[in-house]
Amino acid sequence: MHADITLTVDGRRHQLRVDTRTTLLDALREDLGVTAPKKGCDHGQCGSCTVLLNGRRVVTCLVLAVAGDGAEVVTAAGLAEGGDLHPMQEAFMDHDAFQCGYCTPGQICSAVGMLDEAAAGWPSAATPPRASAEGAVAELDDTEIRERMSGNLCRCGAYAGIVSAIGDAARRTHAAAASGIPRPAREGGRR
Amino acid sequence: MTPGPAPTAPAAPPPSAPGSAPPAGERAAEPAGGGVGDSPPRPDGTLKVTGEFAYSSDLWAENMLWGMTLRSPHPHARIVRVDTAPALRLPGVHAVLTHEDVPGEPRYGLEVRDQPVLAAETVRYRGEPVAVVAADHPETARRALERIVVDYEVLEPVCDARRAAFDPDCPLVHPPGSVPLRPEHNPRGNVLRHQPIRTGDLARGRTVADLRERADVVVTGSYEVGMQDQACLGPESGLAVPAEDGGVDLYVATQWLHADQRQIAPCLGLPPELVRVTLAGVGGAFGAREDLSMQVHACLLALRTGRPVKIVYNREESFYGHVHRHPAHLRFEHGAAADGRLLYAALEIVLDGGAYASTTPAVVGVAASLGLGPYEIPHAAVDAYGVYTTNPPCGAMRGFGAVQACFGYESQMDRLAEALDMDPVEVRLRNAVGRGSVLPTGQRIDAPLPMAEMLERARALPMPPPPEAAPGRVDPLALPGGAGGAGVGASVVRGVGYGVGLKNLCFSEGFDDHSTARVRLEVVGGVPVALVHTAAAEVGQGLVTLQEQIARTELGVRRVALHPADTSVGSAGSSSASRQSHMTGGAVKAACEAVRARVVALARARGLLAGEGGGAVGGADGGVRLAADCLVPPGGAAPVPLAEVLGDAVVEETREFRHRPTSPLDPVTGQGSSHAQLGMCVHRAVVDVDVELGLVRVVALDAVQEVGRALHPRQLVGQIHGGATQGLGLALMEEVQVADGVIRNPSFTDYLIPTVLDVPPMRVEVLEHADPQAPYGLRGAGEPPTLSATPAVVAAVRAATGRPLTRVPLRPEDIALP
Amino acid sequence: MNPFDYRRAEDAAGAAAMVADNPAAAFLGGGTNLVDHMKLGVAAPEVLVDITHLPMDEVEALPEGGVRIGANVRNSDLAAHPLIRRRYPVLSQALLSGASGQLRNLATTAGNLLQRTRCVYFQDTSTPCNKREPGTGCSALEGYQRYHAILGASPDCVAVHPSDMAVALTALDAQVVVQDAATERRVPIARLHRLPGEAPEHDTVLNHGDLITAVELPDMPMAVHARYRKVRDRASFAFALVSVAAAMSLGADGSVSDVRIALGGVAHKPWRALRAEEALRDGPATEERFAAAARAELAEARPLPGNTFKVALARSAITATLRQVHAEARGGDGHGGPGGHGEEQR
Repeated sequence: MHADITLTVDGRRHQLRVDTRTTLLDALREDLGVTAPKKGCDHGQCGSCTVLLNGRRVVTCLVLAVAGDGAEVVTAAGLAEGGDLHPMQEAFMDHDAFQCGYCTPGQICSAVGMLDEAAAGWPSAATPPRASAEGAVAELDDTEIRERMSGNLCRCGAYAGIVSAIGDAARRTHAAAASGIPRPAREGGRR
Repeated sequence: MTPGPAPTAPAAPPPSAPGSAPPAGERAAEPAGGGVGDSPPRPDGTLKVTGEFAYSSDLWAENMLWGMTLRSPHPHARIVRVDTAPALRLPGVHAVLTHEDVPGEPRYGLEVRDQPVLAAETVRYRGEPVAVVAADHPETARRALERIVVDYEVLEPVCDARRAAFDPDCPLVHPPGSVPLRPEHNPRGNVLRHQPIRTGDLARGRTVADLRERADVVVTGSYEVGMQDQACLGPESGLAVPAEDGGVDLYVATQWLHADQRQIAPCLGLPPELVRVTLAGVGGAFGAREDLSMQVHACLLALRTGRPVKIVYNREESFYGHVHRHPAHLRFEHGAAADGRLLYAALEIVLDGGAYASTTPAVVGVAASLGLGPYEIPHAAVDAYGVYTTNPPCGAMRGFGAVQACFGYESQMDRLAEALDMDPVEVRLRNAVGRGSVLPTGQRIDAPLPMAEMLERARALPMPPPPEAAPGRVDPLALPGGAGGAGVGASVVRGVGYGVGLKNLCFSEGFDDHSTARVRLEVVGGVPVALVHTAAAEVGQGLVTLQEQIARTELGVRRVALHPADTSVGSAGSSSASRQSHMTGGAVKAACEAVRARVVALARARGLLAGEGGGAVGGADGGVRLAADCLVPPGGAAPVPLAEVLGDAVVEETREFRHRPTSPLDPVTGQGSSHAQLGMCVHRAVVDVDVELGLVRVVALDAVQEVGRALHPRQLVGQIHGGATQGLGLALMEEVQVADGVIRNPSFTDYLIPTVLDVPPMRVEVLEHADPQAPYGLRGAGEPPTLSATPAVVAAVRAATGRPLTRVPLRPEDIALP
Repeated sequence: MNPFDYRRAEDAAGAAAMVADNPAAAFLGGGTNLVDHMKLGVAAPEVLVDITHLPMDEVEALPEGGVRIGANVRNSDLAAHPLIRRRYPVLSQALLSGASGQLRNLATTAGNLLQRTRCVYFQDTSTPCNKREPGTGCSALEGYQRYHAILGASPDCVAVHPSDMAVALTALDAQVVVQDAATERRVPIARLHRLPGEAPEHDTVLNHGDLITAVELPDMPMAVHARYRKVRDRASFAFALVSVAAAMSLGADGSVSDVRIALGGVAHKPWRALRAEEALRDGPATEERFAAAARAELAEARPLPGNTFKVALARSAITATLRQVHAEARGGDGHGGPGGHGEEQR
């Protein structure tokens, strides 16, 4: 069974007919030829297929394309605008935050989404419950970065570089970190 | 996953240029130097951070079909009947092949040709390929697999490696004489290699019992190492494209293009030159891609259908579709004098090779020759066995037999220290090898190996701050158990442990280990550009960066481009055994030197360089240097732009590089200088253990490693971090659970690898004592830290808990509970 | 994956009716569990009714003092919500200790409750499993048992419920609001999930077509001091071997006046530790009594050969968590000393 859907991917609007069984990951990779999101496990267990979906980081292997009709998708390829690397991408280069690179597009999308979540004051499991209860915005130290990034596996073990790259990108861009990137959508949880 | 129309857009560059690195000049920010010793950016970095780097699973070709593999559901069974007709009737299915469709050699293998392309009469492991399908969509292919009828007669599986090795009544996995094992490997029953070593009095007829009487202290231990998976995030995948000349072009993620070619071509019944293999982007390797996986299958299907065929394994299939690290059973006995000096060692090492040999013979050779570790022990008896079972096949993984041995000997050193009430570092210092020491194989260590200095430096590294003492606010992540906040301050105990690993670098035991490089220098757009062409597999280790650095240093050019790695140039050997910096680095250096000599001669012939002479002297040719895109004459004369020297000339040279020859191990005494080069890493682990809940947090995992010469310091640290991370995983969480020959956890939910939260900050100190045998004095660096990290972490947990901990990975119940 | 029809519902009752009318229909929420199971062949619905567009996405304070959580609230939004962080931090903690940031951004409250077991045999369609195919047998009885039940299992099924969130909700006495085609009803969380008995194919007491529209938390002052602890084989992004959610309130004399304890990773349902609560209530808050309460709860444990260790692990985890929430309730820091933050919420 098929459905006609619209996806905006990295700023380009696509209308396509998909089999309802198609995941967003397969729609991107096989139907649209957007191969920046990688298929590492296809079960939501590795994070390699992470993109920003309506501004939020998600794994695309467990999202049905048909359920994402009308969505806006930003992949690692779309983060680099007009040939200029996103600050997160530059930081990954500067800190040698990858080796084989297979997890890297997912790491970078996840890191960009994660910084927005932290900027919005979201706690993590590393945030002390009391500080969280008081609404304190966690300082994004290495511990917070590590906990928040634990959904992106890197088998090459480039974690040291990943942590320092994200910290560097967060500092470098600070308030501007989210510019050009939609804030985490709040429709699922209005305050 | 879903049937549907053909892709509306190509998902990757055309297969003529998959996964290749861009010319270096495309990087906007070219480093000032970028030569050997600098840390320039990776030439493939920009493509990797934008997601545009084409991995093997990203390839696409017009009119492409999808291949898929039918695998045995049984670990051991006889195939009674196969009926492919129902599958062939399914619309969209273009081919269904079984062993009867293999036109050439029915079997292949890296060392022993024992693995069927497709199983014929017998399946010997769960997941063994029985048939392959090509269809117009993955979902169609999957449905076709369901329609293939295979009747099996189930046979008794052989699951216990020790039984396979020593029980004469154990069923044989391979009928006697059916596989071409080498007599010098002492094959017998299910044992495909037994490598003994006997030294000192144990080579002169004395027994271990005799030596036991002479020792002041004897420690014995039985240790086990679980089956570890390489868990590359990029699954096995590739694209085979049939060619008009009757051959096939294969684009694949592999570690060794020519070994693939050498194994594939006979199975296809084709000469090697008609099987052209090009490296596609590799999503991690770690040994898993040294053996063939989908290569022959994709080529068979492409040749049969006349259409490009792509095969991509899914994650579960990947667990069945590549070899793993050998699980090991170790029985070690060490005797020492009261002052800690080791007197003797008796080791039994049993490695479960699974159903097919893969690299098991070489793994046995490494485990045996390095089984004693970096310790001087005058009398030794080592028996290392590699056995066939009907478990998943095992072969290469980072550390290659030395990892298992290292867990054994380092555990024994800690036991000895305990028995002697001696500091663990002190025991190691008393017995440490160094330059001039003799390994149990009789091989003399003839390069610097400052183990004592390394241990002292590791001991002197600053300690992380102590665990936060109650009371006070405690960072939940500063306690074991991670973000669950499982650990509590009161029951947290700190432990410190050391591990030392000794690893052979490059291929051993008489293998003709070599690499080939073709280097071309010409003027493009007014500037000199070096083009480096090798068949070496970039698997993430950063070899592409190193090749460019070497060309910059040797040819003095700013711009270096890399030709895609393929089989149109000679073999580079495998990206394994920590060997490519040495071997392909050496080949690129040699080719560059040859080009440089011709450039100098050209300059002379064109009257741009006065005087006589020539030939390489001290790295310069007749005192001539190449630097900053210029030829710099000796004696302060004005530099001549290389563009002027070269003009329209194209200077191209190809060189093979070999390390010094090595010897096989004697099948009886185990004597022989089997290794070309040795590497060493010392790890110090600091852990906090919640002894109530059995949770471990690694606080620090600091390393001191001897690297000879750091060609790219930043990438080098990445290699040491990566190796240590995989060693930490083996220590604390990673194990392929095999029950009755079946993998029970073939997913990343159930096979756990370290996350960024499990890995502590890792301080790295590198020592650079040049190895005079190696280009630039370098030593490969990727494997030694994988050895030493595991025993260091376990030793630290032992120190915190007082428990013996003889099996890795450790589990909470091993640590905390009765 | 089998072909299926994809539909969006107009409202909750309509969604319930669409599914109730078709035995092969299923609700689609975040999809993180269902889509995975469809890929594995564990689930093969013919119709998916997408409910994520229904207006069930608010977290709101209830007039009588509790909080109502819409079924579609994503796990990440719920964990970050100020009402939850302030009044039910154990729920925030439990959510944040599960899965990954990317998955929490997709997974919904109702979907989290209804996620199915991670038993490797349930997920492997080549093996017998009574939960997946009733009557075929239980492979785990002779197989890999590390992540399996020690409490309340049956000869037909030894699987455990994998949710962290549900453990916290169980400790918090949550009510689940259920809509069928005609009416709305409330099911106490402790009665939502079943023990396997002879019908392990039923995870919950819900009927086909019942739609969870919300979860309601009662006003529970002691929840401010509740905490969640999770023991697992990896520091993050791993399912629990054992987890504990606990809350405690103390009388003026320092004795335990009330307590809530729930366990994860040990049973076919989030396990409310009523025996342990009973053993603790109205008595002094001492380490000995914490340990005795843990022993009392696990007296009925029936571990499998491959998970015997979980009994002792659960005992230790309960004791350690009680120690921590006791310190929290006293205004301390959970580590035996006086608190650094003079938190006086009560």
